[in-house]
Amino acid sequence: MKNPYTILGVNQNAVKAEILKAQMLAMKKKEFSLQEIAIAAKQLLDPAKRLAADFMFPAKIKVKRIQPIQSTLTHQEINVNDLNENAFNSLK
Amino acid sequence: MEIIIVLIIVAIVGYLIYHSLPNTKFEKAQNLFKTKNYVQAINILNVIFDKHVDAPAKLAECKFNLGNQASAKPEKVKFFNEVVEIRKRINKSESITKFESIEAKALFEIALIQYEETKGDIDKLNQNIKFIDTVNKKGSESDFSSLKKKHFYDLADSHFKKATDKEKSDKLSEAIQIYNTGKDYAEKSDNKTVKNNSVTRIAICQLKRNDKINLDDVSEIGYSDKSYQKELYYRYAIQLLRNKEYTPAEKVISSNLNFQSADIDKLSEILKAEKNNNAVTKIEEINTLIEQLQKKSLSTEELKVFYDSLDKTINEVKFIDIQVSEKISALKPTLFNRLLTQYISAEQFGNAISIIQKYPKFWESPELLKNLGICCYGYTSKGLLTERNYQTVISGWLTSVFSDRVILKSLDDTTWDDNYTFTLVEAIGSNYSQHKETPDNVNYDEISESNISIGATQKELLQQFETIIHKEIQDANLSKLVNDFYDKEKEALENIISVIEKDIFFATPHFAKQNGFNNEIIEELDNDYHNYSNEEALEAGVPYIKNSNSTVVYQYFYANDLIDKVKAAINNENSIAIKNLNTKENKQWIEKFDSISELVEDKLFNSISNKISEDDENEKLIPVMEECILFSSQNAKLKHQYSNYVANYCISKVNENEMDNFKALSLMKGAYLCSPNNPKIVKNFITLIRFNLMDILNDRTRKMNEIYTILDWVKKNNMSQTYKQNSNELSTARQEILQQLKKAGADISLFDEGTFSSILSGHSLNSQGLKIKKVLTYLQELGNEQEFSNALDQLRRRLRQQFNLDDDLPF
Repeated sequence: MKNPYTILGVNQNAVKAEILKAQMLAMKKKEFSLQEIAIAAKQLLDPAKRLAADFMFPAKIKVKRIQPIQSTLTHQEINVNDLNENAFNSLK
Repeated sequence: MEIIIVLIIVAIVGYLIYHSLPNTKFEKAQNLFKTKNYVQAINILNVIFDKHVDAPAKLAECKFNLGNQASAKPEKVKFFNEVVEIRKRINKSESITKFESIEAKALFEIALIQYEETKGDIDKLNQNIKFIDTVNKKGSESDFSSLKKKHFYDLADSHFKKATDKEKSDKLSEAIQIYNTGKDYAEKSDNKTVKNNSVTRIAICQLKRNDKINLDDVSEIGYSDKSYQKELYYRYAIQLLRNKEYTPAEKVISSNLNFQSADIDKLSEILKAEKNNNAVTKIEEINTLIEQLQKKSLSTEELKVFYDSLDKTINEVKFIDIQVSEKISALKPTLFNRLLTQYISAEQFGNAISIIQKYPKFWESPELLKNLGICCYGYTSKGLLTERNYQTVISGWLTSVFSDRVILKSLDDTTWDDNYTFTLVEAIGSNYSQHKETPDNVNYDEISESNISIGATQKELLQQFETIIHKEIQDANLSKLVNDFYDKEKEALENIISVIEKDIFFATPHFAKQNGFNNEIIEELDNDYHNYSNEEALEAGVPYIKNSNSTVVYQYFYANDLIDKVKAAINNENSIAIKNLNTKENKQWIEKFDSISELVEDKLFNSISNKISEDDENEKLIPVMEECILFSSQNAKLKHQYSNYVANYCISKVNENEMDNFKALSLMKGAYLCSPNNPKIVKNFITLIRFNLMDILNDRTRKMNEIYTILDWVKKNNMSQTYKQNSNELSTARQEILQQLKKAGADISLFDEGTFSSILSGHSLNSQGLKIKKVLTYLQELGNEQEFSNALDQLRRRLRQQFNLDDDLPF
């Protein structure tokens, strides 16, 4: 089922008058069939059905704004090659 | 005198001939051998070498013993070689056989002396192995085998030493090859020291060569020389460090290099510094990615890689700086949200579902559960359901829509609904007013134009989804799978919601099992059963079972499953399976639950009825029905069903001459036992008694004894009231037989058991007569003649009393 908000080109907060006006406009545009437009309008004018249409909008999850990581860690000068690989030579 | 001289000459000649015989000489040689006079024995044996079959072997034995007596090795070898040389002189095959075991002993001694000369020299050891492999070993096989093993042991030692020399001169590949050869010899000779040390040294050589190695599950290292172990683990830790495998490096240091040493301290310091530098690098990388994310230049794929890498980075950084690792952890929800939003807006619903499901306890967030529902809907509407994914998608959708909290969440994002209130009174996600915390505009009041039903919204969503799965799945098999699964999941969810009062998270069985909280739901259902003895709660819990054996829900399922197993056995006509299920313990499980025990008989009755409707003359069903009667504690209906089935079957088969009378009687005995007062059963049973007695009478059966056994059982307290009322048939048959006998001129008094006339007549019956008499007696005893004669006796007594007649007057 197509999203009625998309068919009528109205936003989620549209009131009844806006929906009816959008229905007329959509019928003139003929982008969708008359039946699709009628069903979409009916759906948005019925609160229970409109709530079902609203369900299909993803829920916004409250998250923190992403920020670069602040750190006091600094690069240390080291060299693995400083290690004496033969320190434990067992074939002396 | 001349005679005497002749005799003496003959005796001397005889003596000389006797002593020149081979046997005599061999005996002499043997005596010399016993006294260890080998040289003289050898002289004699050489003379009779070809004349006595045992001479070559004895000669070899003498030389072998001389070899053993010799003190110097060259002298020993000389004698043993002489033993071996003897073979060339032997012509007789019997002599060879006896000689070979001595030869093998001599050869073994030679091999042993040669082995002692090797002194670890690899070439000499190999040469002697070749010698051992080629010579005759008859009778000395185990000695040779042990000796060969000693060679392998020495070869292992020698190769190990040779390999260490190569390693010292940095010829590492050659060293590895020789260590491996030594290890092979060590395995053949149980030289554990060389085996374990070789494994360790090979690993050291590989590390020296900078080969990437893995020491997991190399048990030999732990048993090798301690100094080798130290060197190996030190070098290994350095390799891990170079490869930035910090955690394994740390583990090696703490487990295998836990001793005081300046070199180990330095190694640990460098490890720590490396980890620090790695953390710094990671943070730089993360910050670069964050910058790209803020500039929106990060693709969805790159974002996914970034998100997936976070856990590993968090783990690596937390040992360096816990606060930094927490900051990185804090990025996860934000990145997750970005990724999910991108997936949903790009309609990549499969990827979206996948990351939601990996998010810890995602179902506890109404937002995530709602987004899961949206993705499941979108995925289905795009026609992406397959046999592999439909369960996850459908269970996700249903769980999401049935959650009242998820629907309430939709109210947060809009303003059009500000003039309305919403009621949960008919919401499908709860059966009681159980949601304690609801928004201000949500209530449990009646539905009206301004008080909107949440339930209606949920039903609208379900209906939209059902339209898709009913109409838009092209593959018929998949469509059936999906729709059946949807119905089952939905029904199961509705069932638990209708039972559970507590405000818990409700999910479909698949969802609950997949996410590991099915047992929490079962626990609630168990509680409901304990509180209200509500077996509906147990029934509702059955689809949620998965490793839940200790719960009452499981016991309920088990009891039901027993009935299902019996039903399956009925369907498969397997009476033994039912018998095996009929245990005291199993019956106790069934009896524990009223809703199950009350329906056992009906369920089995219906299953049997279905089988009968398929084939109403199936003899295999008879033992199945008998077992069902025993299985069900309430069985009146089953008995009735069984008796009628058996009676109909027997009547049909006997009438069509497809069954003999005895078999029919045997089967009908069971039917009569179950329904002793069912006139139809009883009459047919009595008729079969008559048929069987007539078969005996007319010599038409070989089962006489078996028939009488059944009839005796009937006579012995098994004549029901209905039986007694219908047994005239047998009395009539008896009378007819007596009439025929009378017509044929027989003295019928002889057939009357115990009558005065039969005793007085002085005649006796032949075997045929005795058989007839027995049949007549059974007809009399099984028929109601007895009762009839008793009634006559009573009438006679009453008349005698009335007319004062003598007792012995005939009536």
